[in-house]
Amino acid sequence: MRRRGRFPWLSYLLVGIGAVVTVVPFLDMLLTSFKGPGEYGRLPYRFLPEAFDLSNYREAFVRLDLPLLFRNSVVATAVITGSVLLTSSLAGYALAKLRFPGRDLIFRLVLATMMFPPFVFFIPHFLILVHWPLAGGNGLLGDGGAGLTVSLAALVMPFLVSGFGIFLMRQFIVSVPDEMLEAARIDGAGEFTVWWRIVVPQTRPVAVTLALLTFVGAWNEYIWALLVSTANPRLMTLPVGIQTLQSYLDPHRMVPVMMAGLVLSVLPVLLLFLLLQKHYIRGVMLSGLK
Amino acid sequence: MATTVGSADGDGGEAERLGKAGGRGRADGGRADGGRTDGGRTDGGRDVRTAGDRTRPAARRTRYRYRQTAVAYLFLAPSLAFFAVFLLLPLLFAVLLSLSRWAGFDLADLRPAGVDNFTALFARGSSFLTPVLTNTLLYALGTVALALTGAVLVAHCITHLRFQGFWRTLYFLPIVTTVVAVGNVWKYMYEPGGLVNGVLNALGLRSVAFLQDPVTALPSVVVVQAWASLGSAILILTAGLKAIPHVYYEAAELDGAGPFTVFARITLPLLRPSLLFVCVTQFITGLQSFALIIVMTGEGGPGDATNVAALEMYQRAFKYGDWGSASAAALVLFVLILVITSAQLWLFRRKGADA
Repeated sequence: MRRRGRFPWLSYLLVGIGAVVTVVPFLDMLLTSFKGPGEYGRLPYRFLPEAFDLSNYREAFVRLDLPLLFRNSVVATAVITGSVLLTSSLAGYALAKLRFPGRDLIFRLVLATMMFPPFVFFIPHFLILVHWPLAGGNGLLGDGGAGLTVSLAALVMPFLVSGFGIFLMRQFIVSVPDEMLEAARIDGAGEFTVWWRIVVPQTRPVAVTLALLTFVGAWNEYIWALLVSTANPRLMTLPVGIQTLQSYLDPHRMVPVMMAGLVLSVLPVLLLFLLLQKHYIRGVMLSGLK
Repeated sequence: MATTVGSADGDGGEAERLGKAGGRGRADGGRADGGRTDGGRTDGGRDVRTAGDRTRPAARRTRYRYRQTAVAYLFLAPSLAFFAVFLLLPLLFAVLLSLSRWAGFDLADLRPAGVDNFTALFARGSSFLTPVLTNTLLYALGTVALALTGAVLVAHCITHLRFQGFWRTLYFLPIVTTVVAVGNVWKYMYEPGGLVNGVLNALGLRSVAFLQDPVTALPSVVVVQAWASLGSAILILTAGLKAIPHVYYEAAELDGAGPFTVFARITLPLLRPSLLFVCVTQFITGLQSFALIIVMTGEGGPGDATNVAALEMYQRAFKYGDWGSASAAALVLFVLILVITSAQLWLFRRKGADA
C-alpha cells in the first residue's frame, strides 16, 4: 500500500537530502583513504582525491599489526556469536517447552537481565577477569597475576550469554507445535535429540536474525575491547587498533591511513548487512533497541 | 488421577504469570497433559502409549517429570552459571566497591568508606552535578529531539515514495558501522580541513572549530549521535505509519483537509505509541552512551564540555584508579536511568489508556 501525497517532489527532496547526509560521511571515509600524503587538510577542501593512491592501505599494514587485529576480531566475534546462539536456543527450549519447578522464576530473571545497561558492568567485569582465581599467575584468591587478561577469553567472556537472545528464542520456540515434539519423543528421542532435530531446524530464521545482531554487535564493540587491551595489547581488536592511530603526532598524514584501516574494518559488516538485511532489520524491529 | 489434575492446575497458574506468550503455552501444555493421561477419552486410539500409561501412570509420570526437570536445568546450566558470575556477582561487587575505598591491586586492601563516595560526588565544587550530569541530560535530550524530528519527517515522506527498501538501506548504514568509524569520520569532517568546514567555506562562511570550541563541542557530538541512530527510529516509525488504517486518510480527504492538517491531526496522534517508544529507547541510549565521545573528544574535552556521566565513571576507574567513586557514579547514573525510564513508561501507559 503506497500513499501519494500532493507534493511528491517535496518528499523526494527531503528524503534525498537526508540520504545524502547519511551517505556522504561514508564516501568521505572512502575517498579520504585514497588521498596522498599532505592532501588531507589542504585548503580549500576537495571532496575527490587527486589520484587514487593505494599507499595508505600499505601504510595501514605497516603502522598496525592488521593480521593480529583481524584475527582477534574474527575469533572474538565467532566465539561470541556461536555461544550466544547455542546457549539461547538451549535455554529458550527449556523455558518454552519443558515443565519444571522454577521455570517462572528463571524466565523473570532472564527478562530482568535486559534492564541493566552495559556501563554498570565494565568495572566489575574487568576486576573479576583480572582477579580470576588460578588464571594468568593468580593465586586461589585471585591476586598476584594478570588473570584471564592473558588470553582471548577476556575479550569474549562478558558476552557469551545474552538475556535478549534467550528471550527471543523462547518466544519463537513456544510456537513450535507440541505435536512435533511429542511425536519425536514417542519415537524414543531424548530431549537433546528433540532440540537438535526439531527445535533447531524449526527456528532457523530467528536464529539467523539473532546471529546477525550478535555478529554486528560483537564486531563493532569498542569499550570493552579497549579496556581489555589496556591490560594486554595483544588483545586489540580492529576498532581498538585503528583508534590508536589518533595518537600519532602528524594527524594530517595519519588521517588517510586511518580511513584506509576503517574501510577495511567496516567492509565485512557492511557486505554482510547488505546480503542479509531483511534478517537484520527484523532483528531491530524485534529488539526495538539499538 | 488427582495428582495429575493438581499438577495441571499448577502449570496453568505458572504459565498465566508468564504473560501473553505463556498463556498460549498453557493451552498447548493442557492439551498435551490430556493426551498423555486421559488419552483414551479425548483422542482415542491415535496414541499408542495410552495402554502403557494405564499400567503404572503415577510412577511413569513422576519419572518423566524428574527427567524433564533434570534436562531443563542441564540446558539452562550454561546460562545460569553465566548470569551468576557475570550479572549477580558484578552487581554485588559494584555496590560493595561504591561503599569502599580501594586503590586497586589486592582485594584484601578494600576499606569500608560508608557513603563517602556518594557524598563526594555531590559535594560543593564537585564537577559531577554540573557540568557532567547536565551534559548527560543535554546529550540525551538533544539526540532524541534531533533524531525524532528527522525520523518523523523522513519516515512520513518515505511512505510516499517508490523504492522504500532502497532508502531504508541507505539510512540504515550507520547502525551497522562501528562507533570508531563513525566517530573518526565525523571528527575529521569537523576539522578545519574537513568536509563540514569545506562546505561552510564554499558557502562563504568562516571555519568553525567544532570540537575545540567549548560552546559547539557538545552539540557537534549530539549531531553525530543523532545521525547514527536515525535509521532505527525511521524503521520503527515507518512500521507505525503503515499500521494507521487508510480509511482515516480517505475520510480526511473527503472533508477537504490539507496535507499539513492531515499530518498534524491524523498522522501524529495515531503515531504516538511508536513515537513514545522511540523516545524512551533513544533517551536511555543517550543517557548511557560514551563510546562516541571517547572516540571524538578523548577525555570529554575541551575542559569538561563533552564530559558525560558514563565517561566520568570510566575515567575515574580506568584512568585515576578511583574504583570506589567510579562505582558510585555508575550506580547514581543507573538509578537516574531507572527513574527516568519508569516515569516515561508511566506516561506512556497513561497516554496509551487515553488513546
